[in-house]
Amino acid sequence: MIHQRRRLRNTMLYALLAAVLLGLVFPVLFMAFTSLKSVNEVNRIPPTPWPRYPTLENYPFMARAWDFWLTLRNTIFLAGGSGLAATVLGAMAAYAFSRGAFRGQTLMYSLLVASMAVPAMVTLGPIFIAYLQFNLLDTHIGLILVFTAGGMPLATLLQFAYFNAIPRELDDAAAIDGAGRFTTLFRIIMPIAMPGVFVSFLLLFIAGWNEFLFVFTLSTSPDTQVLTTKLYTIAPREADYNSSNLDLVATAGMFVLLPLVPLLMLTQRQLVEGITFCAVHG
Amino acid sequence: MPMAQSRLQSIFSSRYAVFYVLVLPAFLLRMIYTVIPIIQTVLISFTNRTILGGQYIGLRNYEVLAKDSTLIGSLGWTLLYTATAAVGETVIGLGIAILLMQNLRLRWLSNFIMLLPWVVAPMLAAVAFQILYFEDGGILHAILQELGFGNAAVRWLSDAETARFSTIVMTVWKNVSWVALIFMAAIGSLSKEVLEAAAVDGANTLQRFWYVTLPLLKPAIYLVLLLRAMAEVQTFEQIYGLTRGGPGSATKTLALYTFERFFQQLRYGYGSAVNIVLLLLTIVIGAIFAWLLYRSREI
Repeated sequence: MIHQRRRLRNTMLYALLAAVLLGLVFPVLFMAFTSLKSVNEVNRIPPTPWPRYPTLENYPFMARAWDFWLTLRNTIFLAGGSGLAATVLGAMAAYAFSRGAFRGQTLMYSLLVASMAVPAMVTLGPIFIAYLQFNLLDTHIGLILVFTAGGMPLATLLQFAYFNAIPRELDDAAAIDGAGRFTTLFRIIMPIAMPGVFVSFLLLFIAGWNEFLFVFTLSTSPDTQVLTTKLYTIAPREADYNSSNLDLVATAGMFVLLPLVPLLMLTQRQLVEGITFCAVHG
Repeated sequence: MPMAQSRLQSIFSSRYAVFYVLVLPAFLLRMIYTVIPIIQTVLISFTNRTILGGQYIGLRNYEVLAKDSTLIGSLGWTLLYTATAAVGETVIGLGIAILLMQNLRLRWLSNFIMLLPWVVAPMLAAVAFQILYFEDGGILHAILQELGFGNAAVRWLSDAETARFSTIVMTVWKNVSWVALIFMAAIGSLSKEVLEAAAVDGANTLQRFWYVTLPLLKPAIYLVLLLRAMAEVQTFEQIYGLTRGGPGSATKTLALYTFERFFQQLRYGYGSAVNIVLLLLTIVIGAIFAWLLYRSREI
């Protein structure tokens, strides 16, 4: 009796789990399927749930249309460069907050936390005007600076929590051996807190990869476009409704998503740790 | 004078100076990109500045703003969208978290799928849902037909009310697994003894959840609501990608309206005034939930 009830309960739970996971994966999965359809198949009504005659022909076509390799290089450069800069600068600040007792410490920390609540749109206008004046529009350095500033609170707070868990005796021992604060940070503290440093970089890299608004407004030339801004130019309303271009749209979407999939698989555990860490300590 | 001098000395004496050297690059960069733009936004909102220049006009923008029906509509929609999306994400996310905490198998698969919507860029979410919501024989329509919901084509994006619903569904999908991950961490950190004690006292599963788990999760729930509401209130990217604020102005959030005024019409003064409304709204929402969170942690 109890056995039967347990089996019923488990069956229901797994059915529910399957429904939830299907709902979560479906939009992405259907996009992946659509990208593998031919022009003929994508125009069929009702649509085929999965490609009957899967083809990869959309991928080389979109790669040419997009100047994919240049765009990919820009995206990696921007997300990676700003992620690295924010992680290093954030580590320095986190170390000072963790070990120091200096005037204005609480105020600076609070301002850094509070600045997370500022909507991007509110800061964007004056940044645009300033970039116009300082000739920073359409430049990589201008974009990297915006992204770095954007990732700063996360990089600082996340690493602050990791650094706090490291005993101060290590600092004292290093100081006795004649190491300065910078040496202590870069040679001792950061290597010990490497999981935290890595998670910080990872979260910032993904955030940079997915950013759209700043690149969209602060750059117009093809030389500084990234994957998400390219996505916009073919995306929504420009479909020719007699012959839909959903296959191309889906392929473009896969260009943005696919490079992140192996990263997601390899760093699942760290990502979950980082995500929950941010919310609990932020 | 000697007092002041010794204070200055103590601030810049080498023992402290190194901390300023460490903290200031990060701090100043962040402030240059947030505090200074906010001050400038306030100042520009008192002018009729465009790309060609402009002058101080006092509160004129705000007077126009108060009678601007697009702004009022946009404000109402932003509030509706924020409330519905944040509450929807929290409720469904909590449900998913509880489901996943039942020690089911396939953990790696469910973790991977949970992370997918989170890792999807907002603009990419718009593209994925563009495909689902395709109106000339799209997949959602076909699925509804299969399930026997009749033949009438749903105008997912071209009907005002439905388009609003469609954008909320997209946002909930995008963020619900993030919420679930936070709740899973929160549930995992609850003390097992309390739940076991309740079970010994004869409380059934539902009672344990309602009278024990839920009250203990209160701080986590307020935290999630705070973070989600503050994120949703400034939504731009995925709505811009999906509907561009349309049809008409049906899905035009405040951020989209600012964008239209500031970047498309290049009316810096008026766009900045709309931005101030957005900023104030964010502060109010943040303050309400921060207060609730603070109180729930006190007790």
